[in-house]
Amino acid sequence: MATKNSAFRVWGPDVLTALGLVVAPFVLPHLGFTQDTMSRILIYGLFGIGFDILFGFTGLLSFGQSAFFGTGGFVAAYLLTQTGMTSVILALLIGTVFAAAVGVLVGLIALRRTGIYFAMITVAIAEVFFFLENSPLSAFTGGENGLPGVPSPTFYLGFTTIHIGSGWTMYGFLAVCFLIGMVIARRIVLSPVGLVLVAIRDNPLRAAAVGHNVHSYKLLAFVIAAAYGGLAGGLLGVLQGYMPPDAFAFDTSGQLVMQTVIGGLGTLFGPLVGAAVWLYLRDFLQSTVNLGAAWKLALGVVFVLLVVFLRRGIIGGVVDLVRLSRGKPAPVEEVEESIVVPAAAAVPTGDIEPVEHGEPILVATGLTKRYGGLLANSDIDFTVRRGELRGIIGPNGAGKSTFFKMLTCEVPPSAGKIVFEDKDITGFSVTEVCQLGLTKSYQVNQLFSRLTVRDNLNIAAAAQRRGPFKMDVLRRVGHIDGIEETVAETLDLVNLTKRADNLVSELAYGEKRRLEIGLALATSPKLLLLDEPLAGMSPRERVETVKLLKSIRQGRTMIVIDHDMDAIFELTESITVLQEGRVLVEGTPQEIKNNPTVQEAYLGGVHEE
Amino acid sequence: MSLLEVNKLNSYYGDSHILFDIDLRVEAHEVVALIGRNGAGKSTTLKSLMGMVTPRSGSVKLDGEDLAGRKAHVIAQKGMQLVPEERRVFGSLDVEENIVLARLTAENAWPIERIYELFPRLAERKRSRGTDLSGGEQQMLAIARALVRDPKIVLLDEPFEGLAPVIVQDLMRACRKLVEEGQTIVLVEQNIAATLALADRAYIVNNGHVVHEGPTKEIKAQPDLLQRYLGV
Amino acid sequence: MDFNWPLLVSQMFNGLVLGALLALISSGLTIIYGTLGVLNLAHGAMFMMGGYAGWLTYQYTNSYILAVAGGSLFVLVVGIIMERVVIRHFYDRPDEDQILVTFGLGIVFVELVRWGFGSLSLTVPSPSWASGITSLGFMIYPTYRLAVVAIVAVALLILYVVLYRTRLGMIVRAGIEDAGMVDALGINVYRVFMIVFGIGAMAAGFAGIVNAPVAPITPDIGTDILVQTFVVVVIGGVGSFPGAILGGLIAGEILSLTSMVNPSYSQVMLFAVMTLVLVVSPYGLLGAKGRD
Repeated sequence: MATKNSAFRVWGPDVLTALGLVVAPFVLPHLGFTQDTMSRILIYGLFGIGFDILFGFTGLLSFGQSAFFGTGGFVAAYLLTQTGMTSVILALLIGTVFAAAVGVLVGLIALRRTGIYFAMITVAIAEVFFFLENSPLSAFTGGENGLPGVPSPTFYLGFTTIHIGSGWTMYGFLAVCFLIGMVIARRIVLSPVGLVLVAIRDNPLRAAAVGHNVHSYKLLAFVIAAAYGGLAGGLLGVLQGYMPPDAFAFDTSGQLVMQTVIGGLGTLFGPLVGAAVWLYLRDFLQSTVNLGAAWKLALGVVFVLLVVFLRRGIIGGVVDLVRLSRGKPAPVEEVEESIVVPAAAAVPTGDIEPVEHGEPILVATGLTKRYGGLLANSDIDFTVRRGELRGIIGPNGAGKSTFFKMLTCEVPPSAGKIVFEDKDITGFSVTEVCQLGLTKSYQVNQLFSRLTVRDNLNIAAAAQRRGPFKMDVLRRVGHIDGIEETVAETLDLVNLTKRADNLVSELAYGEKRRLEIGLALATSPKLLLLDEPLAGMSPRERVETVKLLKSIRQGRTMIVIDHDMDAIFELTESITVLQEGRVLVEGTPQEIKNNPTVQEAYLGGVHEE
Repeated sequence: MSLLEVNKLNSYYGDSHILFDIDLRVEAHEVVALIGRNGAGKSTTLKSLMGMVTPRSGSVKLDGEDLAGRKAHVIAQKGMQLVPEERRVFGSLDVEENIVLARLTAENAWPIERIYELFPRLAERKRSRGTDLSGGEQQMLAIARALVRDPKIVLLDEPFEGLAPVIVQDLMRACRKLVEEGQTIVLVEQNIAATLALADRAYIVNNGHVVHEGPTKEIKAQPDLLQRYLGV
Repeated sequence: MDFNWPLLVSQMFNGLVLGALLALISSGLTIIYGTLGVLNLAHGAMFMMGGYAGWLTYQYTNSYILAVAGGSLFVLVVGIIMERVVIRHFYDRPDEDQILVTFGLGIVFVELVRWGFGSLSLTVPSPSWASGITSLGFMIYPTYRLAVVAIVAVALLILYVVLYRTRLGMIVRAGIEDAGMVDALGINVYRVFMIVFGIGAMAAGFAGIVNAPVAPITPDIGTDILVQTFVVVVIGGVGSFPGAILGGLIAGEILSLTSMVNPSYSQVMLFAVMTLVLVVSPYGLLGAKGRD
């Protein structure tokens, strides 16, 4: 998913698709594909584009797409058969819009939960729509009989009239629809919206933490899938001249899921390939191999085998084969790599020049956190000035991590207030505070693991530039104002410029840790909170990370929590010591080192007993 | 041959390298402590011994048999028992059920009465559900579950954490009794006083490395050592 | 409007029958999910296969009791094999993969049965000691349906006893809470998972054969049941055995009573109640764990 701006990458697949669609009627029939089958493949391929955006790109597995397929199809069919509407195109569009609107309503209910709950709810939705169609709304849908008599479109072009019949003209019409659908889908996928969707699939926690409104994007993906489903349903009615009730059947949803997985998730073409395999094998297995009704059994077994062994489907398998034949990917860099700290930012170790500190940037008063009967933090007052590098330390049970979570707004305080740059942020969400300029980097790497380093940073930078939610589906990621500069700067700061186009999985641990900090930096934070930045590091990596942290200071205020005392004392200018949920003392590293109460807190009565 | 021999143990959380070539040795009937700051890797060491974290390399030999990489239930059956930091008492079961469950696959399981002798408090609360127990009672139960299996080694992960001093005294009494009876213990504990009082030997762990080893008497006599690795 | 009391009571009884069955099937699903964290989309197929295996047993033995035993045991074995061979390898894979593989297996089972038995419906007659109709004073009601309530109640009771009064049940309940700790106490949790999956599936299979005299079995009866089971589990709370029972009874009554007003609305009503519960109490009425 690199966002290189080469015209070939952007438009190439669209051109190839068009070519493929033109060539297909001359090639495929010789392989045993009928024209009707090819038309159906296109319809299911189109249906699946939306589903792939929902599941392959956003990670939301829905078994309820038949609801939209049927809705779009029956609205269009109803308009064309029961009202006076003659324009097939208009009816299809209205059907699509209607399906999308229903998608909004259904999405608002279903997206209240994630994962397994979400899948369960979508199953229930599919069934409900089926029942609705069958009985209460049967006056509109024809109940068990469906709606016959759906006309095919006629195009009056002035100099000529194109009447879409049931032969190859129908294929041509559907091919054009598919091409348009594919082109639009590719624009979506290449846009910032597409990037955020993939981020949500990979790591929804981090996507929200870098400033994206995850729920709104999920709803958008859901609606897009509903729209594609609605259009495909309408086209089915046109193809068959008849809108069948089993469009709403759960089976339709299930078939879509299987086809997409077989073809390959996250590719947009997966559903097309999957539909081709499905429909071809159905004909092949039924007639040639004479399996009769057992074709579905065979396909089911194929599906299960693919899920177990070839999760990325046919297209994924082909891509992997190609990669393998091209040679092994770049070896993971040795942990003991030599890191060159950017010369301009090199700061001599040891002495930290006193920086002129500005007004307070973060003021927390009376912060308290209660978990049932347990008082984790009690009445903490905490102020950080602009430009400071503050450390927070404390013995076990001091409540450091709870305190930190309150500062980052991951956990709401039970009492107390947090003011960031004169704005009361108590109770805000991580997304909101990130947008305001307060970001955290995590103790355990929270990266977008299937993407490249550059895309990881793009996701973080994009949120800052676009706000929490924007439907810029037709823009390209690289065209966002200033994003390339921000990303380039960040890459330089964390010394990952050479690795920008590598996948996260190809990075060494130290590099991943630098990317982790880079993600937070790319949101252009005014206040950066670092949660155990040295966690899990070898002695050498620690030294280098401390250098790195010093080098990223300029223009930023930082708060660091860590257990590595040497590092904290070298890095920070002032330290807050917590003990048993309260602030014990604050001061410079020297003062803290020499403070007997602090020693006492850590060594806890060595000389007792 | 020591009862427990750990050689060049390396453990990771995902990609994060937590333990670097840890070497430990525990003789039968000894009480050995792992001390160090939070985040040093002490807990991870115990979890690696118990198989709850799979070590990436190194060996963990109990009575000469290498258990590194085996599943936790196998290690438990071989005689190593962990009392985890979070206690992990089964809240939906009552005290006696917790103990009964723990005994199920132990060859020489203690009779329940022996547990109640050691922890009379648990006898009083034997029908209380795990969720209704106080912190101290939960800790007792967690220790009881390990002991009832008659383990060769008990791994205690921060047993005194978050407990009131009175309860800590109670538990110390029970621990001393166990030590007298010859129970081999590996103890991870932030409360330095309690640790140095109970343990014969201690390893100091810092940033995932063992940085010092020696009898606790000696360590007590070197306050700067403690300050360096435990203080600030 | 004249209120049709006998119809109301009769529908309430129907709701009880349906509710009892749903409670049993949902208990199986929820126990599997609570312990293993797996959503078994093949659960409806288990219900269906119980019916078919029971029917087959009946053909050879002409005994209702043996049919019930046969159906249940067959599904128990299928469940155990399924966990051992397939599901076990998916614990480390994302939730969606688990859902997909159980979904696929569900389809395979359905198609296997269709291949072997055809699509026409099959019937199992109700046993002689529970056939005909019973007079309840103010109305008459099919005897077998009353028997179903009793049989399922006994099955749920047995399940309850196993869960709350046996060693195995204790291990399962502990495993639902903290499988890792059970492992650390020397008990092979994987074997426990296998047994739990088998028992959970068996609950559905048992319901399938017990239901056969009420409604003829076809390869597709599992799908409807699956959806209703999901709704029950969402209402009652995922991972909660009492929740499955409560949810099942509520669902059964809703489906039955609303079908008095308008048969086609009952499914919609159920869905509406599910939505309401989701909005008001996201973890269901009795659910506690947030495995989400």
